[in-house]
Amino acid sequence: MSHQLKGLEKEAGGGVRGRARSGHPHPGDRSGRRPSTKRTSKAKGSRVQHGVQPSQKERPGGSPRPGSPWRKPMERPARRSRPEGLRRLERSSMEERTCQGRRKRDGRTSFKEQRAHPKKEKEVVGKELKKPRSSSLVSSTSSDESLSEEELARILEQVEEKKKLIATMRNKPWPMAKKLTELREAQAFVENYEGALGKGKGKRLYAYRMQMAKKWVKFKRDFDNFKTQCIPWEMKIKDIESHFGSSVASYFIFLRWMYGVNLVLFGLIFGLVIIPEVLMGVPYGSIPRKTVPRAEEAKAMDFSVLWDFEGYIKYSALFYGYYNNQRTIGWLRYRLPMAYFMVGVSMFGYSLMIVIRSMASNTQGSTGEGENDNFTFSFKMFTSWDYLIGNSETADNKYASITTSFKESIVDEQESNKEENVHLTRFLRVLANFLIICCLCGSGYLIYFVVKRSQEFSKMQNVSWYERNEVEIVMSLLGMFCPPLFETIAALENYHPRIGLKWQLGRIFALFLGNLYTFLLALMDDVHLKLANEETIKNITHWTLFNYYNSSGWNDSVPRPPLHPADVPRGSCWETAVGIEFMRLTVSDMLVTYITILVGDFLRACFVRFMNHCWCWDLEAGFPSYAEFDISGNVLGLIFNQGMIWMGSFYAPGLLGINVLRLLTSMYFQCWAVMSSNVPHERVFKASRSNNFYMGLLLLVLFLSLLPVAYTIMSLPPSFDCGPFSGKNRMYDVLQETIENDFPTFLGKIFAFLANPGLIIPAILLMFLAIYYLNSVSKGLSRANAQLRKKIQALREIEKSHKSVKRRASNSENRSKHQNDTQLQLTKEEPMPLSASQCQTLDKKTGNTATFSSARKIPQPASRHLTGSQPLGVKPDAGQSQPQTHPFRSATGKSIQRTPR
Amino acid sequence: MGTRSSHVAIIPDVDDIRRDTGFSQASLLRLYHRFRALDRNKKGYLSRMDLQQIGALAVNPLGDRIIDSFFPHGSQCVDFPGFVRVLAHFRPIENEDPGTRDPKQPEPLNSRMNKLRFAFQLYDLDGDGKISRQEMLQVLRLMVGVQVTEEQLESITDRTVQEADEDGDGAVSFLEFTKSLEKMNIEQKMSIRILK
Repeated sequence: MSHQLKGLEKEAGGGVRGRARSGHPHPGDRSGRRPSTKRTSKAKGSRVQHGVQPSQKERPGGSPRPGSPWRKPMERPARRSRPEGLRRLERSSMEERTCQGRRKRDGRTSFKEQRAHPKKEKEVVGKELKKPRSSSLVSSTSSDESLSEEELARILEQVEEKKKLIATMRNKPWPMAKKLTELREAQAFVENYEGALGKGKGKRLYAYRMQMAKKWVKFKRDFDNFKTQCIPWEMKIKDIESHFGSSVASYFIFLRWMYGVNLVLFGLIFGLVIIPEVLMGVPYGSIPRKTVPRAEEAKAMDFSVLWDFEGYIKYSALFYGYYNNQRTIGWLRYRLPMAYFMVGVSMFGYSLMIVIRSMASNTQGSTGEGENDNFTFSFKMFTSWDYLIGNSETADNKYASITTSFKESIVDEQESNKEENVHLTRFLRVLANFLIICCLCGSGYLIYFVVKRSQEFSKMQNVSWYERNEVEIVMSLLGMFCPPLFETIAALENYHPRIGLKWQLGRIFALFLGNLYTFLLALMDDVHLKLANEETIKNITHWTLFNYYNSSGWNDSVPRPPLHPADVPRGSCWETAVGIEFMRLTVSDMLVTYITILVGDFLRACFVRFMNHCWCWDLEAGFPSYAEFDISGNVLGLIFNQGMIWMGSFYAPGLLGINVLRLLTSMYFQCWAVMSSNVPHERVFKASRSNNFYMGLLLLVLFLSLLPVAYTIMSLPPSFDCGPFSGKNRMYDVLQETIENDFPTFLGKIFAFLANPGLIIPAILLMFLAIYYLNSVSKGLSRANAQLRKKIQALREIEKSHKSVKRRASNSENRSKHQNDTQLQLTKEEPMPLSASQCQTLDKKTGNTATFSSARKIPQPASRHLTGSQPLGVKPDAGQSQPQTHPFRSATGKSIQRTPR
Repeated sequence: MGTRSSHVAIIPDVDDIRRDTGFSQASLLRLYHRFRALDRNKKGYLSRMDLQQIGALAVNPLGDRIIDSFFPHGSQCVDFPGFVRVLAHFRPIENEDPGTRDPKQPEPLNSRMNKLRFAFQLYDLDGDGKISRQEMLQVLRLMVGVQVTEEQLESITDRTVQEADEDGDGAVSFLEFTKSLEKMNIEQKMSIRILK
C-alpha cells in the first residue's frame, strides 16, 4: 500500500493543498482496498460532516437530484454492474456509519473541505459547470459500462446546455480568454458525450467507433514500422555508416539502389520474354536454332564448355539465338518478337527515366537540407545522443556514429578554414592535371597499340599464349596500377576529400572508358567478320537442304523425313556471340572482384592481425596495415558492370538474372568484408547526401552503352537463322510489321505522320528551348538562394559581434556603476547588473540621475536576491538564482519589464 | 474500461497530476504501475538505486544524466507526481490550436520550451543555467567514448561554444541553447509515442 504511505507522507508535508483546491477529497484517498487506515477514515469523516451534500461530487456522472434519497434506491440494484467509482462510494457510505467517532479528530481537514465545498456546490447546482470538473466527469462516465436512465438524462441535459452555451458564447460578457477556455471545454464535452447518449445501440456504435479509431491509429503506426523494416539492408548499411562514415555507406546505398533497378529490369525481361518463350514457344530440339549442333553434341554437357556459356547453355532461352521468329506463339497468340523488341527498348527507357528521376529528387532533397550550416556542432553536440538506447551494442554503434559524424564535421571545418597559398595550390593543381592527362594519353596510346598488334596477331597462325591475351593483360595491368598512381598525384592537389573523390572517380572513369572502347572495338570487328561470312553460310544451308530433299536414290512416292535439326548447317549467329561475350565478362568481373576482396582485404587483414605478434615491425601501423574501403574503385566497378548489363541484355536476356544474383551476393559479401577486414578512412568525410555524382556517371555510362546497342539494332542486319528477328532486313522492322498487320490502317498513318522529320525536328527544338529556359530559371533561383544564405550568415555574425561588444562594454560600465552607488547595487548579483547597466546605457545621456532611476526601476530583484547575495568579485558563481532571464533581457532589451518577474 | 477507471483512482492526487501533466488516464495508470514496479521496497518513492536497476538505463552511457534529471536540486528521492512530471516532458504535442489555451495558465510541460529546458538540464551539470565548456566536455566524453583524442574533443567543444555563444561569455545559456536548436525538430525528437 505504498500509495497510502505516500499519501500520509504528503499529508505531513502540508499536502492538503490538492484537496483544498479541488474542493473535494480525492478518489485516491478512498481508493484503497483496505479502507481501515487512518487516511481513509479521515476522508470519510470529512465527508460525513457535509451531510447530504457529499454525494454530489462522488457521482461525477451526475445524479439528477442531489441527496441521499436518490442514493438509497439506486444502491442495491446497481451493485453488480456499477463501476468501481460508485461502488467505492457505497462502501464509504457504509463506513460513514461506523467511523463517526473519528470525525472529530479530523476537524481540521474537514473544516478546510467545508470551506471549499460551498463554492463547488454552487457550481453544480447553478448548472454553470465550471471547468476542471468536467474532466473528472469525463473520466468516470466514459468508462461506465451501463448508465442508468437518470444519469443519461442528466448527461443529455448537460450536453444540451453545453450546446446552448456554445451557441450563445458570443453574447456573454466574458473576457476573451475565458470565452475561449469555456468554448473549448464545452466542445470537448459535447464531442465526448454525444455518442455515449445514444440509446443502447448508439452507444455501442460510439464505443465501436472509438475502438476502431484507436485500432486505426495503432495500425498506421505498425504499418509505418513495417515499412521501415522492409527497407532491405537498412540495418547493415546503418551499421557500416556508423563505423565507416557516410562516404562508404553511400556506396552501399548506391548498390542497393542498383539492385532495385536491376530487379525491375529482370522482372520485365523474365516475365515478358523468357517465361512466355519457355512456356509457349516451340520446345527444345524441334528446330535448328534450338538444338545443339551435331559437332558439339558430345561435349555440350561438359562443365568446361558450360563454364564458357557454350553447349547447352548457348542454345537456351538465356540467349538471343534461341528465340524463334514466329510472329505469335501459343494459344495466347503472344507476339514474342514484338515483345522482345519492346522489352529491349523499354529497358533503356526505364533505366533512363529512373536515373534521371532519382537525380532530380536528389537535387531537390539537397537544397532543402543545406541550411543547417550555422550550428553544425551545436546540433551534433546537443541532439545526437539517443537517450532511449537500451542496448549496449546499439550504444556502441551510436558511439561510433557520433564519433564519425564529428570527424566528418571536423574535416569539413578544416577544409573551409584552410588558409593557403593560392598560387601554389593553383600551380600544383595544374601540374597534377597535366600529369594525369599525360598518364591517360599514355594508357590510351598503349591500348591502341596493343589492339592494333592483336589484330595482326589474329591473322598469324601460331601465336603464343601471351600474344593471344596481350590486350586483356595490358588492360588489367593498367586498371591495377593507374588508380593508385592517380591517387598519388591527386595528393598534390590538396582538395577536400569529397571533391578529391569526384576527381578521382572522373579520372578512373576516363581510364575505364578506354577499357570499354577496346572491348567494343574488338567485338564490332568480330561481328562484322561474322556478318561477312553469313552470306556464304546461308548459301551452304540452302544447298544442304536442297540436296537433302532432292537427292536421288530415294523413293519419290514417300516424302522424306525432315532433316534432323542438329544436322542442319547454320550461321554463326553474331547476336548470341555478343551475348556470350558480355556474359563471360560479367562473370569473370564478378569473380575477380570477389577474389580481390578475399585476398586483398580479408587475407591481408588476417595476416596483419595474426602475424603481428611475431614480426619484425608493427604490421598494423606499418607497411601492409589494414585495407581501406576503396570507394572510387567499387563505385566505378559497379557502374561499368551496369553498362555491360545494359549493353548485353538485349542479346542475352539471362544476363540480368546473373546480375541480380551478383548484386545480391556482393551486397552481403562486401558488407561482411567491410565490417570484418577494412578500417575506416583516415579522413572520414561526409558524402554529399545526394550521390548525384555517381548518378551522373551512371547516366553517362547508360548513354554510352545505349549507343552500340542502338547502332546494332538500327544498322546491322539480324542473323538469318537465329533470334526473333531472323528473316527481317533490320530488327526494327518488327514494329512496322506489327503496325501493318495488327493495328487499323489509320493508326499506321498516324505513326507514319509522327515519324515525319518535319515534325520531329521542331519537337526537338522545342525541347531544347524548354531546357534552356528551365536551366536559366533554376540558375537564377539558386543564385538568389545563395545570396540570401550569405545575408543570413552575415546578419548573424554582426549580431554576435555586436552582442559581445555590448556585453563587454556593459560589464565594464557595470563595475564603474557599482563603485558609484554601492549601497543599492551591493545586493545585486552578476546577472542583474547587465540589465541595470543596459538601462543605464540607454539613459546615460540624462546624466548621473539616470543611474538612480534605473536602479530604482528594479528594486524587486534586488531585494529578492538579497538572501543569496554574494560579494561582488565572485563572478563564476553568478547567475545561480535567475539564470534564464538574463540572456533574455540582454537579447530583447526589455530589461525593465522583465526583471520583476 | 470500467475496471480501468477504478484503477486510476488508486493513484493519489490523480486529478492534480492529470491537470499538471496532461496525461490520459490510461497512461497515468500504466506509469503508476511502472512506478510501483520500480519501487522495490514499496517505499512510495524512487531512489537513485531504483532507477539504476533498470537494465536498459544502466547500459546507456548517459544513463546517469537521465537519472539525475529525475532528481532535481540534489534530492535523493522522487515521488509519483515528480516522476510523472519528468516524463510529461516527453508527451507528444497534440496539434491543438495554441490560441485556445488559457494564456494565464503555465505552459504545458510538453511544450517546446519545456522540452528544450529539459534537454538543457541534461547538459547543465551544476545547474547554474549555463553550459560551460567543462560541462560540455564531460557530456561529450560520455557520448563518444574513448575514440576521440582529448584535443579533438576540446576543439569540438570550442567550436560548439563559438557557434552558439552570442554574448561572448564562453558558455551557452538557455536562450542561446534554444536559438541554436531553433531549426531542430525538438517537438518530434523529444516525444515518446507511448506517453500519449
